[in-house]
This record gives sequence, C-alpha cells and structure tokens, in this order.
Amino acid sequence: MRVRARLHRCALLLCAVSLLLPAAARAAPGRDETEFTATVDRDEIALDETVRLDLTITLSSKGDQGELSPPPLRDWDVVGRSSAEQASFTFSAGAPAFKRTTVTSLTLSPHKAGPLQIEAARLTFKGRVYTTTPITVKVLASGQQAGARGPQRQQAQRDPPDDPSPLRGLDPFQGMKASARDLTLRAVVDVEQPVVGQQVTWTLYLLARVSVSQIDRLQLPKMDGFWTEEVEAPQQLVSEARVIDGVPMQAYLLRKRALFPLHPGKVVIDPAEVEVITGMGMLFSRSNVKRESLPITLDVQPLPAGGPPGFDQGNVGQWRLSASADPIAVAVGQPVTLRVVASGRGNLRDLQLPKLPNIAGLRAYDATSTDKTGIEQGKAGGARTVEQLLVPERTGELEIPALTLETFDPIARQYKTLKTSPVRITVAPAAVSNQAAGQAQNLLAAGGLRPIRLRLRQQGGGAPPWEQLWFWPLLLAAPLLVGGGLLSARVGRALAQDPSLVRVQKAAQAARKRLRGAESLLEQQKQDGEDPAPFYAEVSRALAGYLQDKQGVSAAGLVREELSRTLLEKGHSKITVEKLVALLDECDRARFSPGAGTTTAQAAVLQRADAVLGALDSPRPASVRKGAP
Amino acid sequence: MSPALRSTKCLTLALLAAALLAPAARADGEKAAAPLFDSGSAAFLSGDLARATASWQALVDEGVASAELETNLGVALSRQGKRGLAVLHFERALHLEAGDDDARADLAELRRGNVDRLEGEEDVGGEALFRLLAPLPGSGLALALLVAWTLAWVLYALRSLAPRLSARLPVGAAAAVSFALAGLTGLGAAGAAVRYQLALRRAVVVSPAVPAREGPQAKAVSHFEVHEGTLVRIEDAEAGYRRIKLQNGLTGWVPAESVEPVVPPAWGGLALR
Repeated sequence: MRVRARLHRCALLLCAVSLLLPAAARAAPGRDETEFTATVDRDEIALDETVRLDLTITLSSKGDQGELSPPPLRDWDVVGRSSAEQASFTFSAGAPAFKRTTVTSLTLSPHKAGPLQIEAARLTFKGRVYTTTPITVKVLASGQQAGARGPQRQQAQRDPPDDPSPLRGLDPFQGMKASARDLTLRAVVDVEQPVVGQQVTWTLYLLARVSVSQIDRLQLPKMDGFWTEEVEAPQQLVSEARVIDGVPMQAYLLRKRALFPLHPGKVVIDPAEVEVITGMGMLFSRSNVKRESLPITLDVQPLPAGGPPGFDQGNVGQWRLSASADPIAVAVGQPVTLRVVASGRGNLRDLQLPKLPNIAGLRAYDATSTDKTGIEQGKAGGARTVEQLLVPERTGELEIPALTLETFDPIARQYKTLKTSPVRITVAPAAVSNQAAGQAQNLLAAGGLRPIRLRLRQQGGGAPPWEQLWFWPLLLAAPLLVGGGLLSARVGRALAQDPSLVRVQKAAQAARKRLRGAESLLEQQKQDGEDPAPFYAEVSRALAGYLQDKQGVSAAGLVREELSRTLLEKGHSKITVEKLVALLDECDRARFSPGAGTTTAQAAVLQRADAVLGALDSPRPASVRKGAP
Repeated sequence: MSPALRSTKCLTLALLAAALLAPAARADGEKAAAPLFDSGSAAFLSGDLARATASWQALVDEGVASAELETNLGVALSRQGKRGLAVLHFERALHLEAGDDDARADLAELRRGNVDRLEGEEDVGGEALFRLLAPLPGSGLALALLVAWTLAWVLYALRSLAPRLSARLPVGAAAAVSFALAGLTGLGAAGAAVRYQLALRRAVVVSPAVPAREGPQAKAVSHFEVHEGTLVRIEDAEAGYRRIKLQNGLTGWVPAESVEPVVPPAWGGLALR
C-alpha cells in the first residue's frame, strides 16, 4: 500500500515538473534579451571639452523598466542629461516579441587631465543586476587638439547634439527634401569611404505620407564585393514618426545589413525594390505601389601602407585580446587549457588570432576555435575563442609569453598592436601513485635562449695580424737578418785570409789553367802553323809559376842544380825533380831554337807537364814537410 | 757575438715583449668596462631590458670587443623582439670567438623563427666555405706562424754560424721542425685570411622588412622583400644603398640603414659609403 502511494506521489511530481519546464524554457529567452551597454562618443578629449555617455537599456518587458544606477563619476561633472525611449514589435520564429530601448545620455565634463575612468553603471531588472564595463577616456590639457576619436563622435557632429535617438549618426533623412510622392524607398550607408574590411551599415527605409498596409515583395540588391551580416530584418512593419523638411511622415525600417568591403575601389550597391500595399481594409481604397531606391556608390580605400609585420588583412576592427590559462598550478602531465579570446567589433569570420609559439617544457595540442557573433548597437562583432590544450613536461615555473595581434582600427585609422599578458603556470611533480610507469617527471628538452653571461672577457676586436702594418715586415725580418748575417760572415772570412796562403792554395789550379792555355796555343798552331815558341813559353811559365807560388822556389833565379837541390830538400822525389828539370830545359831549348819540335812532341810535353805538376802537388811525407810553405 | 746572432736575439725579445704586453693591456680594459657590464647584467636580471641594452650598447660604442658582451646584447634584443639586431650581435659574438657555444645555440634558436626561407641554389656567397674555415683561430695562427718562422731562421743561423754548438745539439733538426711548423701555421693562417675576407662582406638585415630593388633608388622596381635576421652578403655600395646577395643568389639593392655588416669598421670592417 505504501509503495503504491509513493509511486502515485512520484507520478504527480513528474507531471508537475513536465508542466513547469516548458514555461521556464519559454521564459528563459526573455531574460537573455536584456541588454545594458555604456558607450562614449569620444575616447580622447581636451580638458575644456565634454564627452557624452550613452547608457542603453534594451528590455523585452512592457511594464518593468528596471532600476538604473548611473556610475558614481568621481572624476567628472554631469553638465547635461537627457533620455529617449523607443519600442518595437518584431516577429521572431513565429512569435511576437516586444523590445523597448531606453537611452540615457549624460554629458560629462572632466575634472583634470590624464586618463580618467567612467565607472560601471548598474541596472537592476527582475532581481538581476547588470553592470557595464568601465570606460577610460584620455583627457588632454586645455586647448590641445584631441587626436583619436570614437566612432560615435563623428556621428554626433552630424546630428543635433541633444538628439537621443539610437538612430543618430545613421539619419537617412538628413538633408532630405520632402518628396512630392507619398511613398519613397530610401537606402543609406553610414560610411561612404570605408577601408577594406571596415563595416558599412546599409539601411533601407520606406518613407510614407499615406497609410501602409503591408509589404508585398521586397527585393534586395546582391551586394557583390562584400561580406554581409544581417543586422535587422523586421518581420512586422513598425513606424517611426519623422518630420522631413517640415512634412510629417512615417518611416518604416525594412532592412539593415552590415557590409564588409573585400577589395579597394569603387563599388556600387544596386537599388532595392519594394511593392507596397497602401490603404486600410475594405473601407478604404487599397493600391499596390512599386518603389525603387537609388544606387549607392562606395569608394573603398585600401589599408594604409606601413602595416606592421604579421598583420593579416582580415584583422580590421576594434578588437580586444585576452589570454588565460586554467588551471595555473598543475602536476607534470596534467592538462592546462589556454584560452585566447578576441572580442569587439568587426568581421569576426576573417579575424586571425595569434598562434602559440613552441614553448620548451610544454606540449601543445591542436587548438579549437569557437565564434560567438552578435550585433551591438548596429555593429557586427562578437568573440572568437581559441582553446588549446597544453601538457607540462617539466616541473617549475613555465611562462606562456605575451601573444600579439596586429589590427587596423578603421575608426582611429591606425594600426594597433594588441598584446596579452604573459601567463605563468606552476608545475609540480606528479604524485608517485599517479605517475604512469616510465613517464618522465621533468623532461628537459633542448631549446630556448640561453642565460646571459656575467663575466666580461675582452678580445682583440681589431683587424687580424696579417692586416696590420707590422706583420709583414716582422715576418720578413728573420730571413733578411739571417741571410744578411750569413753573407756578411762569409765576406768577413774571405777578407780575413792571407793572400800568400791563397796563392799557395791556388798554385796548382793556376798552373793547370796555364797548361790549358798552352793546349789552346797548340791547337791554334796546328791550324795556323804558327811558331811553337809561345806554347813552350806558356808551359815554362806554368811550371815556374807553380814552383814560385807553391814551393816558394824561383826557377828563374836558380841554376838547375840549385833548383834540383832545393826541391829535393823539400821532400820531392828525385825522379820528379829530374823530370821537372828536363822539362824546363826542353822548353827553354824549344823557345830559343825556332822550328824545333813537332806538334806530337809538344803534346807529349803537355802530358809530361801535367804529370810533373801532379807529382809535385801530391802529399809529401810528414817528416820532409816541415818548413815547407 | 756575430751581428746576425745579435739581430735575431733582438727580434726574439721584441716578439716575446709584444706577446706579454698585449694580455696586460687587455686586462686593464676589462677592468674599466666591468662596472658598466655588471650594471647591464643587473638590469637584465631585474627585467629592465631597455636599460640592460643601453648599458651594453654603450660598451660596444666605446670599442669594447667581447663575445660575452655581444651574446648578452643579442639575448636582450631578442627578448625585446628586435630579431634582426639580435642576430647581428650573435653573429658578431661568433666572429670574435668562433667556438662560442652559447652564441651559436642562441643564433640557431633565433633563426628558427626567420621569416625568410631561401629556396633554390645554395651557397652562392661562400657561406659553406666560411663555416668550414670558421674554427680556425686566425690571430693565433698568424702569431704562431711569426714565432715558428722566426725561430726556424734563428736556428738555421745558429747551425751555419756556430758549427761547434750545432755539433753538440740537434740544431739542424730543430730548424727543420720549425720550418715545417711555420708551413703548417702558414696554411692555417691563409685559411683564416680567406675566412676574414668572406666575413667582411657578411651582413644582417636589421629592418623588419625591406624591399630589395633593381637599382640604388627608391623608385626602382622591387622583385622581392627581405626580413630582419636574414644573412646577406654585401656586394657593392652606392650613395646610401647596398647591393646585397642572398645565399641562393637573389640580388638587390636595399637602403644602407636596413643592413648592418657583421664586422663593423671599428674591428677592421669595410667602411662603405
């Protein structure tokens, strides 16, 4: 019985839950549609200028407006305040949706120069608290020309300063004259000379002086040369009363699109066409009217020259970049998720986020990218999140370096470098129980810049020795000095020798030279038949010269007996002495007896003279050499 | 003592004196530069890269040549993202000390991130020969050649002029060995001289990106662009422009300030217009 009762209670509970859940699910989108933003018309002003802060609240509630708490504004004076409200009905997924936008504008005057912050504003709506992001405005000294200005500033200059309409800056009716026609289709763009990649908002309005029942057909242009994003596509006609050139008219927003030019140059946006049914019901006359807008020509500018290295053409817009890691303290081998987020305004699809470089000690896996696109105040944008799994392979502090994204801000018309802060991860050794067998606890891979050196050691940085003036003379000095020294030694030795000794040493050589001279004379005599006397005289001079130089004996001053005795005393053999004397006698005889002797005899004399010289010059016994020169 | 012996003795003494005095002068220079070097190191370690770079650069401007100083400068500049200048200083460190392992490793690490990747025919500028000859200690070999050559001639003179001494000692053999040694060191010094001539033409692109043009004019046509950190060879100079050649043979004119020679004029490098 108890079991049945319990089952019954469970069934009732399930029914109640199944009834409540769809209601909660329907209510959920309503909460998500609440938007609360704060914007300024300029991000740089002079001290004597003002800045306008717009607090825009978009609610899907008809009754409750929420409670707005403006920022405390410690550095600012509020010099003006205004507010405006706009309500609209749209059909989304077949269901009507109410949307109310309230814009509270505060005109602020700064207290001092420098970067001043506009604190966060708060909105309390249905028990939930919404806050805006604090905004920093750069305030220059009085009289200085403010440089970079926000997008709203340019629009505000065209519009009446107190016009709180969210449509300001995109006023399609500015400068328009009231047409004679009851219906006008007007297409406008907010920028006529955008740069490549900058958003151009194209808006199509129907202006009517008559009652418009419904839009029968709407044909939009092709938009070639642009990447397009839908900003607003109302499913139901909502009118806004406007006075154009003094004529009251109803303005119907038909379509709003964000266009991103792809190439520089003139681009024409073709006309749009619409068929409108005017009149009200059966009682009033209904008619079908066709209208066409004018074409629009855009002059798309190329990106300015001098883009920083690493800049990608798709990175045009107003972006913010941040990086975070989770967790920041792990054990070796445990994964860390690195999350890099770029958010802001621009063409999110073309945005190229920086890639993580190789980091020693961190193994990186493939990154995954998710996009969240959105429209904020008519501007396309959103957030791209790149998540990458990192696994530390060594213990200690690991640093993920600052990542850099080069962008071009089309409003400020300048390149900007966005940089994340470095992220530090503390890696501890894994617990022993968690450690897989064989897995490294501290994998120390090579790579990375090495630490600096703390000790200075100077080197000779100048030109090498062979380029110096002293090198080659020094290299040549040694051989020159040594060569000179050897030469001078040889000359010195030559100069230090006794001439008589030289004569003794060279006596045999001189005698043989003369004998060769005599031989020449003999040859000449054979040819010319001349007198043999010169031949014999030369042989005689050779022998006498030798005796004079070598033996110190003057053959001319001695008779033959004295000559023989002197030579015998010097240790020469008797036979040699006798041969010498005979030879000298024969030469004398032939010199003074013309016609004596034949050439054969003369040749024999030469041979004998050679033999005698050889015998006289040969070494003598030591016992008889004493006293010899 | 003969005049030849006297001369050779004087020559040997002069060489010895020069060899002894040079390190002493260098030690004095190191002492003077140490405070600024240490100040740069302290700034680097505290994270003030700009001040560290300024301190070390001041030493370089004063003419201090040191592989350690150049390597530290390279690391500091690299941390600041100035890749081209970082590569230049690592190259200079290796020019001063070819065996500097830290400079070589840091340079390899930095080159991994080079924007320019060369394709096609390799080594037009003799880079392979340069790397082959890089380990030769040029100055040391030249001084060794001087000593061995002088010693060989002194020994030869002794052998010729003092036969009694050469009869007692192997002076002739020692002279022959010295001549052989002089030949070997001479070959090494010749290789180092070739390397030095190649080094004089080496340069590094220091501008983030620079178009290489067909002529030394800003209006000349550009067919390619080079990026910081790329090693080039300076072929010619003309009124504020340098004619550079890449290792694969690509040649063009770039503004003079976009490339820096590895061997600065203060170290005997080329003084270009």
